[in-house]
Amino acid sequence: MVEYTIVAENLVKKFGDIVAVNGVTFKVKKGEIFGFLGPNGAGKTTTIHILSTLIRPTSGRALVDNKDVVKEPAEVRKVIGIVFQDPSVDDQLTAYENLYIHGRIYGIRGKDLEVRINEALKFVDLYKFRNKQVKTFSGGMRRRLEIARALLHEPKVLFLDEPTLGLDPQTRAKIWDYIRMIRREKGVTIFLTTHYMDEAEELADRIAIIDHGKIIAEGTPDELRTLAGNEVVYINFDEVKEKPPCIEDNFVEECKVLTSDSIMLKVRNASEAMPLIFEELNSKGYKIKKIEYRRPTLNDVFLYLTGREIREEEGSDFERLKAIVRRRWR
Amino acid sequence: MNWTDPLIVMTYRELKRFVRAKSRLIGSIINPLIWAIFFGLGWSSAFNFPQARMIFGGVNYMTYLTPGIVMMTVFTASFISGVTVIWDKQFGFLKEVLVAPTPREPAIIGRALGGSLTALLQGLIVLIVLIPLVSKIKLLGIMPVILIGLLVGLSFSAVGITLATKMTSMEGFHIISSFIMMPTIFLSGAFYPIRTMPEWMKALAYANPLTYGVDLTRYYLLGTSDLGIGIDFLVLIVLTTVSLTVASIIFRSATID
Repeated sequence: MVEYTIVAENLVKKFGDIVAVNGVTFKVKKGEIFGFLGPNGAGKTTTIHILSTLIRPTSGRALVDNKDVVKEPAEVRKVIGIVFQDPSVDDQLTAYENLYIHGRIYGIRGKDLEVRINEALKFVDLYKFRNKQVKTFSGGMRRRLEIARALLHEPKVLFLDEPTLGLDPQTRAKIWDYIRMIRREKGVTIFLTTHYMDEAEELADRIAIIDHGKIIAEGTPDELRTLAGNEVVYINFDEVKEKPPCIEDNFVEECKVLTSDSIMLKVRNASEAMPLIFEELNSKGYKIKKIEYRRPTLNDVFLYLTGREIREEEGSDFERLKAIVRRRWR
Repeated sequence: MNWTDPLIVMTYRELKRFVRAKSRLIGSIINPLIWAIFFGLGWSSAFNFPQARMIFGGVNYMTYLTPGIVMMTVFTASFISGVTVIWDKQFGFLKEVLVAPTPREPAIIGRALGGSLTALLQGLIVLIVLIPLVSKIKLLGIMPVILIGLLVGLSFSAVGITLATKMTSMEGFHIISSFIMMPTIFLSGAFYPIRTMPEWMKALAYANPLTYGVDLTRYYLLGTSDLGIGIDFLVLIVLTTVSLTVASIIFRSATID
């Protein structure tokens, strides 16, 4: 039997007239990385805030590690760690002090706390900087510190709200490595929200696509891609006698001759179709010079489902404003 | 769940932050010193005649003003420290406490305690700097003044925290500083005696809790009290209890909506 770490049933959250989350239902399996993909304002952060007991749902039910987020918030809080979308480390304190405060708030003390802090800092490669004030840290270092902090009390579930928002590509890739490492080494169930297609594809075992507070599709990245239609295989031939051959077989949806030495095949699943294509063409004596295929991206899926693209933007105006105010006031 | 850890650690956080932000420390000490020196010394030489000394309880104006300035420093610093919970709310640290499986009351009381200790320290620094300028002071009075400063600091940190927890925007911060802080200081008897105020102002001054802190401080440093130290202590203890309770209740049910 599959164990579910998070179960959400018909979650609704209204802020006045605005319905932020509109009947969301999903289940997250133990130990998986579950991605919540959607544009800004789709209800991702609100969902995380409900699951982490920061706000109460207007209606619906949610269980985290079999505990009800409304009825047993204190129990839920013990088993979760969270990295907020907005930075929440104290930049006047050092990395070590930030983790120390976190640990004490969670009731960890003394030698045990010290060992855990050092371990956590080593895990995110910040041990060298443990006594530096966080205000000297780069965006990526801060995010890593927040990850270390969220793991300090060894949660069963880790919530990551837009973990790479506003980071440069290299730093993002590095954060992804850490997230994969957390799952591999610590066996933590991870619930992550993102509006970056590539992030969801790279990290998530399963993805729910959310738009206007509703889940419009759910599945593995591969399953979702098939929603948007077929995959396309392009084949270039080395020497063609007369006319490039088309393959008529039941795994091919459509075959088209493009040029005098290339064809295009539409297939359901390119990775399964390719060996068959090789076999077929080899047996007929054709030499393949080049073969490539394009899979529909999650962006194509979103486009297909909503008629819109997920805009790849760096936070809202409000977030930027907050960043400016923060710099000025702290 | 235990209460000591969150209480201690939140106090620790405030103290650490205080030590780190040296510019803030200097800023919060310079302002009262400017008042004391320029305003105080200026009026002190203008009021340099016997009748004036009677108004100020037999000491020169500078000496009269000093206990008031010390309390003003403690009040301002602790109140602002409480109100800065609004930054924590906007910028996340509050969320960190709210998602933790810890009782919230000791966390917020710890924060108030931290705010009051740092405010007290600032008040004492101001007092020490001003000692050479006063004509008379009871140095042993500094001991009870530490306790008074702590009570005043705890109360107004808690009031600040309560306001900040309820505030939804940062604009509120400026409104508070002009509509609450300035009148509280002027109506506390820190700058001039309450006895000679117009009746309506007197009523406001008596309703102002800071008045009792100023009166007590003046009693222990200079030996004169207008209100009686029994009532002063009673008011301060009640105020501290009530404001901490209210802050705890408000913060207990705080969400980030």
